[in-house]
Amino acid sequence: MSIVALHHVRKVYDTKVAVDDMSFTIGPGMMFGLLGPNGSGKTSTIRMMIGITVPDSGTVELFGAPFDRRALSRVGYLPEERGLYKKMKVVDQLVFLGQMHGLDAATASRRAHAWCERLQILESVQKRTEDLSKGMQQKIQFISTLLHEPELIIMDEPFSGLDPVNASLLQDTLEELRNQGRSILFSTHRMDQVERMCDQICLIHNSKLVLSGSMRDIKSRYPVNRVQVVFQGDDAFLAHAAVASVKRHNEHAEIVLRPSADNAGDAQQLLAFALAHGTRILRFELTEPTLEEIFIETVGTDHADFDTQSRMHRVVDGAAHA
Amino acid sequence: MHKVWLIAQREYLERVRTRAFLISTILIPVMMGAFVFGSFYLDKKSATTPQHVALVSADAPFALDLQQMLDADREAHILSDVISPPGPDTRPTLEHMLDDHGLDGYLWIDRLPSGELQFVYTPATSSPTVNGPVLAVLSTNVRTLLLRRGLIARGLGEGDVDGLTQPVRIDHGHHRPRSSLGAAFALFFLMYMVVVLYGMNVARSIIEEKTSRVFEVLLSTIRPEEMMAGKILGVGSVGLTQVGIWMLAVAALAATPFAHAAASGDMALTIGPAQVVFFVLYFIFGFLLYSSMAAALGAMTNSEQELQQLNMFLVMPLGFCMLMIPVVMNAPNSFWSRVVSLIPFCSPLLMNFRVSLSMPQPWEIGLSFVLMAVTILIVIWLASRIYRVGVLMYGKRPTVHEIMRWVKYS
Repeated sequence: MSIVALHHVRKVYDTKVAVDDMSFTIGPGMMFGLLGPNGSGKTSTIRMMIGITVPDSGTVELFGAPFDRRALSRVGYLPEERGLYKKMKVVDQLVFLGQMHGLDAATASRRAHAWCERLQILESVQKRTEDLSKGMQQKIQFISTLLHEPELIIMDEPFSGLDPVNASLLQDTLEELRNQGRSILFSTHRMDQVERMCDQICLIHNSKLVLSGSMRDIKSRYPVNRVQVVFQGDDAFLAHAAVASVKRHNEHAEIVLRPSADNAGDAQQLLAFALAHGTRILRFELTEPTLEEIFIETVGTDHADFDTQSRMHRVVDGAAHA
Repeated sequence: MHKVWLIAQREYLERVRTRAFLISTILIPVMMGAFVFGSFYLDKKSATTPQHVALVSADAPFALDLQQMLDADREAHILSDVISPPGPDTRPTLEHMLDDHGLDGYLWIDRLPSGELQFVYTPATSSPTVNGPVLAVLSTNVRTLLLRRGLIARGLGEGDVDGLTQPVRIDHGHHRPRSSLGAAFALFFLMYMVVVLYGMNVARSIIEEKTSRVFEVLLSTIRPEEMMAGKILGVGSVGLTQVGIWMLAVAALAATPFAHAAASGDMALTIGPAQVVFFVLYFIFGFLLYSSMAAALGAMTNSEQELQQLNMFLVMPLGFCMLMIPVVMNAPNSFWSRVVSLIPFCSPLLMNFRVSLSMPQPWEIGLSFVLMAVTILIVIWLASRIYRVGVLMYGKRPTVHEIMRWVKYS
């Protein structure tokens, strides 16, 4: 059974096509990443999954049945635009939102306290929300999404605006929830996060799905032809015949190898060449392309207008297209 | 339905607990009392300020007799000077005094060649509320004077004439309507304030959720229509609570001796049970009507400032009601009073005002509720459609064209 299934979903706002022919499924216990640059249609897709908007055509299924608002009690949703009632006390706020998701007040309060303890904000539960820092408010909203123990957790850009400590705290929490069998969908424009966390991904660009599947499948479609090198001394090896392009940051080089039947063999030769020229190799790693590289390769460099937070991997000479 | 209740409950508790609620509960009646009684007091005071009038006539005894009668008339409040006979520069001098406000008007009395008397009154102001009473007093006294002279000329004794021309006092202290004008005004302005205040509160509450983006979480648990309904119920209950507190306070005050002193004279604040019942009913309907309009306005805008610009849609119909006060007050049961008080946007204020002045026909009251109910359903239907699309729109304010499309959009 699929937890979420979209079939040829399309949504048009006035004249702008927000989502076009979108199809994917999320299985139980999956961590699913919805990826794409800003404005590519991630939020529009998510809003249709939780009935805030209705698709113009195509269908949305939740828990194996056509969309029904009653199923939403099994879903936890964290919108991209964070918001809480500023004047309300944290605990009142959480209890209210828990009740809106069908909990009784006592249960909501008990779980709210347990979560606040777990996320280290228990001392703030009696404070007014506006008196808290932005990061704390984010945690509270995160908790409000999980109070009713949803089977499906949908989070729109959950890590944006968080400091690294809190971001990893929330990542760990999400992975724990996934290990308990919950299905999790989150959107992000930061591909580096997804590499580590997601079982499945869906890449969207200009309202269209460009790539989807399990991380392992997608990566296995691409040759293992990237070499990460950290070195000292002579850099003559960067001009070796096996090298298609190089991106260099001081002593760190990211090499793309020329297409070949035996990338591993080419890499060995490259390493031998470097050692022969007296280069000190501190790190030499043969990898598959990163998701960002795959994305850029799929949609073309011109359209990769990521946020500044994102690490841009531009491939010199455009050789990646070769 | 349970969730509508939750939304309403949160809205209610969060508002009732605020300091603003406490302050407005105390300040609104104080301000309104000051407003109504202040205007009544000033009105009475200015009405008792004597009017300075010059009596100009070639017939000196006639003018002097008239002056004597005006002085004797305690209800007249007219201070008069006699100019007799008038010279060529009398009129320019008097006109000059009118301009300087040294004089409120002059009465020019001429005998025409036909022997008929001609009276011309020239006032300093064009205000009918100032000139009306003066003219009434002048014409009554002139008539009495002429009558006296005629009767004496026909051989009646002065004593008999005095007896015949004795002024008649008609006592008008016993109103048939169940409340005084003061109470009617008090209730009118109270209604105006609570409808505007709580209507705006609904709009503000929607904008708060829009700017804080809370509604997006809520929309994943509840329909926009239910959310709007919960808000209107919650905020409306706060209004009813406040009105309830005021009513109880009035009832408590009425039990004190002070109330007895206040409950006499023209300014008496006598409010019957019918007034209270109708006030609450018209408040509920008026609030539903205006708050659903406000909900639509709130959904269209992104900030308080933008809301201020659209405020006129709420305030205009209420302002129209204000303008209609004299129409209704002068003739509560006239055709036009009936028409304006049946306009659904005006009924809460004007029909309720008529209830206080002189009870309208039951069918009029019934019809006003039916018309309001129909209008409320239409406005709520429109507002919930605008709300549903509008709450998710940030950024620029929609054009009329776009709003029309939101209404059609399903």
